[in-house]
Amino acid sequence: MAFKLRRRSFLQLATAAAASIGAMPSRAATSAAAKDSASIGWPNDVPSWDPNQRFTPDAQSIFKAVFDQPLGQSTTLKLTPALLKTWKLSEDALSMDVELRDDVTFHNGDKMTTEDFRYTFFERPKSGTKLDTANSWRKVQDIVIASPTRATMKFSSPAPTAPQWLAFLGSFVVPKKYMETGGLDNFLKKPIGSGPYKLAEYELNSRIVLERYDNYWGGKPKLERVTIEIIKDPSARVAAIQSGQVDFTINVPVREVQRFQKDPAFAAGLDPISRVILIQARNDLAFADKNVRLAAHHAINKVALSKAFYGAAAVPLSVLATPGTPGYIADYHFKYDPALAKQLLAKSKFGPNNPVKIGFATTNGQFPSDYDVARAIAQMWKEVGIEADLQVIDYAKYFELNRARKLPEATLYSWDNATGDPEIFLGYQLNPKMPFSPWKDQDIGNQVLALFNVADYKKRIAGYRALERYAVEQGASMPLLQSIVTDVRKRNLHYTKYNNGWVLPQTFHWV
Amino acid sequence: MLATVVKLIARRLLAAVPILLVVSALLFCVLRLLPVDPAAMSLPPTATIAQIEAKRREMGLDRPLPEQYAMWLKAALHGDFGRSIQFGRQAGGLVAASLPATIELAAAAMILAAILGFGGGLLLFHLRGTLFESIADLGSILLLSIPEFLWGLILLFVFGVVLHALPFTGEVSPNLPQPDITGFILLDSLLVGRFDVFLSACRHLILPAFALGLAFSPTIMRVLRSSLFDIYHEDYIQQARLRGLSETQILLRHALKNAILPTLTLAGVQFGILFSGTLLVEVIYSYPGMGNLMVDAVRNADLPLIQAIALTYCIVVLIINTLVDALHIVLNPKLRTH
Repeated sequence: MAFKLRRRSFLQLATAAAASIGAMPSRAATSAAAKDSASIGWPNDVPSWDPNQRFTPDAQSIFKAVFDQPLGQSTTLKLTPALLKTWKLSEDALSMDVELRDDVTFHNGDKMTTEDFRYTFFERPKSGTKLDTANSWRKVQDIVIASPTRATMKFSSPAPTAPQWLAFLGSFVVPKKYMETGGLDNFLKKPIGSGPYKLAEYELNSRIVLERYDNYWGGKPKLERVTIEIIKDPSARVAAIQSGQVDFTINVPVREVQRFQKDPAFAAGLDPISRVILIQARNDLAFADKNVRLAAHHAINKVALSKAFYGAAAVPLSVLATPGTPGYIADYHFKYDPALAKQLLAKSKFGPNNPVKIGFATTNGQFPSDYDVARAIAQMWKEVGIEADLQVIDYAKYFELNRARKLPEATLYSWDNATGDPEIFLGYQLNPKMPFSPWKDQDIGNQVLALFNVADYKKRIAGYRALERYAVEQGASMPLLQSIVTDVRKRNLHYTKYNNGWVLPQTFHWV
Repeated sequence: MLATVVKLIARRLLAAVPILLVVSALLFCVLRLLPVDPAAMSLPPTATIAQIEAKRREMGLDRPLPEQYAMWLKAALHGDFGRSIQFGRQAGGLVAASLPATIELAAAAMILAAILGFGGGLLLFHLRGTLFESIADLGSILLLSIPEFLWGLILLFVFGVVLHALPFTGEVSPNLPQPDITGFILLDSLLVGRFDVFLSACRHLILPAFALGLAFSPTIMRVLRSSLFDIYHEDYIQQARLRGLSETQILLRHALKNAILPTLTLAGVQFGILFSGTLLVEVIYSYPGMGNLMVDAVRNADLPLIQAIALTYCIVVLIINTLVDALHIVLNPKLRTH
């Protein structure tokens, strides 16, 4: 860790110094308007070229370039037709009729049919537990094929969010024939999808080269070739965009974005997305006491956290939903009130001189400023009478720790929900049967489980909005901030921004 | 001489077997002691306890540790190092794909280190007794005190960010294709006749290779100088002077030949360190080698991949040491008779 800090500090200092002395001639101007290629500095490689295998939010943008999803999303996260021309969820949400486009081909020329759809969402998930889609599509009892373009999904219990899931993590249609004849290992080496780009080259942990697929059914991407350079270190990404080695990059430090915003050669953005930074609470140990949980929440100055670590761009949240999504309650505010926090703690005989002791887990480097945010919160808690023992955990071990009930009272966490649907925000976070949170209380849990079966959209959303408020008031839910994504690009390179943070190569173009 | 070298290599290969067994057993035990459950990590987060238990049985994790090791060893001897948890691909295949980049980087760094080390060592020796000796000495100590990752950052900043002189991400420029025949980009680019790719690969190799080489060269410099000092006190050097040989002739014909042996030994031993130094340098320069892969594997607690990479490092170091010893025999006639 000492190395990491030194290395980062050095690069940040070095880059800033170079900027201040004007020693870095900008290369942004060299980008010709007629360019039909671009290079992107990206923080992570894909975990695997099997898009159904692992749910990795950061890889979705790359997958969406090579593979296609049955449904798409608009920039404001509304569902849009994609591979599916139409979809109709039955009133009881136990089945869904779908109609596939008839002009979709995979990159090897094979036509996509409902056989591929069935294979992706029924046959593959049922073949074992190795795919993450085995969970997301566990309710699929069968997919009855009526024709090469028409099918009906049958669910074992109501699946009101099935349409949302058709646009979400892992839901990419893969070619049945190609996978079955060549085998998985061949597919991983030479993956083909039906997306706007073909995978032309792949060098593990180094670069992904995409070439435009000319027979794509949708709008042709403007760029013929996109090279994604995997640059894991944020400071190295800053250096790469500054020196002109890449045309675009994301997830750079906030202070660097602010610096690039002053440089006429670049455009830089700090945009809130449908990802929430929250504190996950246990419902036992020292957090069995509702007063302590509520005090912990009231003691956090979210505005200060946003200003200090996210350039004030991260929106403070009072419910577990982001602005613009169906579950968001704009007129509900959970107060920052350290005095009230002290009063609540006093009711339980705690205070600054007699602090309640809790464990507080955080990752370090899993999302921007996570460890620093945790330290700031621990300091805020100390002032009201909560003594937090800060424990750094590896994200890779989170689920194992949670499963073994080894997470402490509080855990700083980041929860991504590209669909914006409240089931995938609050529903997943407070469902005691799911592994995404240490909250295992039956009162709220039963309310969540009931909502999982509500087929009527309006009723379902209303139910979640009521439950969000209730969960916050019970101290079960402690949303902090809406996450942000940062990007820096050469000024004449443009792309479409989505509210869920997607950065789709097919939307890139030079002007 | 050839027979002696072949014998040595054969002996070393035999000795490598128990070494690799011990190293692999140690690695296996240490990784199993980590508070990580490979079975749970191989499955989606939503897997039930029963599914994890079933997976654990399938992976043999419910059996005693020696039995688990025997199972792993049997599979490893057939080239199966297990499936990477993170990538879902064969760990052996992932290592094989990234090893050539690391070998190229380490070899380039070694060549640079040898040039800088031998050149610097001779310069240090040449400056002995002069006013510049202390300055040169201080310079070599300064070089010695800067670790490879810091060199990496300094070079990246100066030549990449400020001067825009050299690229610092990946193996070749984004607009060029990356041929893949043997995995060695320099070789492959020549095989397909793409000199532009070859030149681009060389340019991409310069900064990381210098970062490693600069960190490694001061050791060679200082050992060479010390060896030369010792040798210049030997009688045969005085006799050479009496025979009227010039100082340059003495240095090149007599002193250097003998001083090179301890330097070479040290270089061989240090090569293992240089090879492991690729880990950080590859991350800094987004170089697609084994070091980069190892960082990912450790971050994701990918035990099969960690084990495969660590074992590969061990094999490479053993091979290098054997080659250095063989070279010793070639260079030192005395060793051929013992």
